[in-house]
Amino acid sequence: MNLTRALIVSLVCHGASLAYADNQSYGPYSKSYVEDCGSCHVPYPPQRMTQQGWETQMGNLSQHYGTDASLDAAAAKPIMAYLTANAGIKPKLAPTGPTARLTETRWFVGEHGKAPAGKSFSDCTQCHKEAAQGDFSERRLQIPANWRMGR
Amino acid sequence: MAKIKFGIRGHGLGVVAAWVLGFFSSVGYAETPQNFLDTYAREVRVENPNFKGFSASAGAAFYKNTHGAEWRCASCHTDSPTSLGEHVVTHKQIQPLSPVANPARFTDATKVNKWFKRNCNDVVQRECTAEEKGNVLTYLLSVKP
Repeated sequence: MNLTRALIVSLVCHGASLAYADNQSYGPYSKSYVEDCGSCHVPYPPQRMTQQGWETQMGNLSQHYGTDASLDAAAAKPIMAYLTANAGIKPKLAPTGPTARLTETRWFVGEHGKAPAGKSFSDCTQCHKEAAQGDFSERRLQIPANWRMGR
Repeated sequence: MAKIKFGIRGHGLGVVAAWVLGFFSSVGYAETPQNFLDTYAREVRVENPNFKGFSASAGAAFYKNTHGAEWRCASCHTDSPTSLGEHVVTHKQIQPLSPVANPARFTDATKVNKWFKRNCNDVVQRECTAEEKGNVLTYLLSVKP
């Protein structure tokens, strides 16, 4: 009886996690988003940070983690509208630092840990092979053999 | 008689084909690299009426050297601007910068202005002068594929 119950619980959880994994596709993104926010790094999913976080990002593009990523007003306006329309709302997707790094949201750190010293999570394609297309599903995930989740 | 007719018709098709090609090329590429060189030269002459023309060697030096900041143009675009580049932090692939290898380069003023503004701030910590831009573009056009 207990075994049957455990089996059912396990199947339900497993099924749920598979469904969740299959849903982790955020593309295709708008053409202007890919062009303006996906030239130096893969375009990050707008859904994975809150509007407040994206506003912080867009408000400081001329000093974007050591590089000038500025956009003129004509280009910035539709990008901000696109981010706002697609931004996440869950508290775990809120920015935690002054520059609103997506990789420092509670959600991101919970899923990925912290990057090893001197390494960066900016290149999603290291593991998420189809990240450029917005496909973060586990089917497309290839974790390097030497990967250890930092804490 | 029939031959002449055929000749005329053939010529007409050629004109249409040229027109269609012209239409598509103008839709694809709003500007040419030469347009940018002309614009930069006009800007330089405002300050320096004796300006003699851009220098590929000065452009190469500007492109390959550092200018007080950590990055140089070549940090991401590589010392060979006809090759694929790679962003030094994110490792994102960058298409070749030279129009010799990548005909889409220097064909869209909005893009060119956006990237010169961003990248000059990263490399020289200010906007580039028209002469610097003209020299670099002259260099990029001078390299062999």
